[in-house]
Amino acid sequence: MENSLIVALARQSVLARQMDAISNNLANLNTAGFKSESMVFKEQIESAGDNQVISLVHDVTYFRDTTAGPMTNTDNPLDLAIRGEGFFAVETDDGQRYTRHGVFQLDRQGRVVTSDGHPLLGAGGAPITVPPNTSNIIVARDGTVSADAQKIGRIELFSFENPAALSKIGNSLYEAKGQAPQATRDSDIAQGMVEGSNVNGVVEMTRMIDTVRSYQSAGKLVEMEHKRILDAINTLVAEA
Amino acid sequence: MRSLNIAATGMLAQQLNVEVISNNIANINTTGYKRQRAEFHDLLYQDLLRPGTTSSDTGTVVPSGIQIGLGVKPAAVYRITEQGNLVITDNNLDLAINGKGYFAVELPSGDTGYTRSGALGRSPDGDLVTANGYIVQPGITIPNDAISVTINAQGEVLVAIDGQLTPSTVGQIQLANFPNEAGLQAIGNNLFLETPGSGNAILAAAGSPGFGTIQQGALETSNVNVVAEITNLITAQRAYEMNSRVIQASDEMMSSMVQLR
Repeated sequence: MENSLIVALARQSVLARQMDAISNNLANLNTAGFKSESMVFKEQIESAGDNQVISLVHDVTYFRDTTAGPMTNTDNPLDLAIRGEGFFAVETDDGQRYTRHGVFQLDRQGRVVTSDGHPLLGAGGAPITVPPNTSNIIVARDGTVSADAQKIGRIELFSFENPAALSKIGNSLYEAKGQAPQATRDSDIAQGMVEGSNVNGVVEMTRMIDTVRSYQSAGKLVEMEHKRILDAINTLVAEA
Repeated sequence: MRSLNIAATGMLAQQLNVEVISNNIANINTTGYKRQRAEFHDLLYQDLLRPGTTSSDTGTVVPSGIQIGLGVKPAAVYRITEQGNLVITDNNLDLAINGKGYFAVELPSGDTGYTRSGALGRSPDGDLVTANGYIVQPGITIPNDAISVTINAQGEVLVAIDGQLTPSTVGQIQLANFPNEAGLQAIGNNLFLETPGSGNAILAAAGSPGFGTIQQGALETSNVNVVAEITNLITAQRAYEMNSRVIQASDEMMSSMVQLR
């Protein structure tokens, strides 16, 4: 009977989640390697009795935009950006994780690590260690790392059959979730560059305005429906 | 409304970004200053529908699921140790390091500090000291009757004394190098301290393999690039504004909810 209320409620709850997704995109406007996400909605048909159907809205999945972010030059030899679909592999306490956040540093043992201290893995799964007193680190396009013209290893990049199915675990890391990572040579590395976030501020702002207005109009619907029911009660009671 | 908190993390992150940029711009003329950069990570994710969940008994799986991100957090503010430019000052106790390495100085606390700022001077006893009066290690004393001081690329301090034909060597400046320079702790006054992150200092004479050489009569400028900093400032400010708009929009959504009844 109060179907329109349920429809409006369904609409408002997915819009609130859409707003969360938009605000997360905007919060990560300057996060290196971040990929923007949007929600995918689906119509869900419910039977409402008397051969009537109502359609509710339902959020089924996330869509991750995997286009490359803009490259910015930082001149830091350990800032590495990936051109192509690949991911860096890093070793964490919970196993191998993948990232496109190419901001690396050296730790006290001279290993190339992320800002959280997870070592970057080279070909063969071994961390890349830079000998002490190195004055010049060069990373070639294919990932070969040289310290003062001496080759010390190669950074291996990995690709996935379905990059959208990688699970985000925060700290710019992705978990493979059952997909087998494949070493790839189709992507290459740009040294001294950082891949920025691919969030487009203008698009997100527009979608945000759209979301807020839709949310308000759904609210209006609830309000009018409430009034209609109230009127019905008042009229019926007056006539009785 | 998660979006309120998410946008708040965004604003805090951009605020930090602006702070780091403003410190770079403030230090544009600081000798030996290395620019810093704020780096961000995305925060935790809430799994509403886990990716890879089975969606039917025939084994079909949800391709990407629903994961709601909860905002952003600062990951690191790291120093970019790129070489700064050398400016000629013609002061014979201004030293610039061309390449890697730090001057080691003895701090009043007894600890050893490290600096790239080579604007040195002489103490009343003739010791080679920094602008703060801290003695450069290993202690080098320039005799009072020296008429000229020459410091060569390897850091050897040669003094000419009236009446002597050949200049005499009074010491050699050592440079310190670290496995991870970015891990040094900045304590202000152009000084750094060793930390477990930087690794232990490796001391050697200037010009040794992997160490820079010393240039007398020059100073190393900061490596801040104004144009890049201003561009980053604009980006950070716009990102801050957009996040504040999200807070406003979330507030509008909440107020429309409150006005329902």
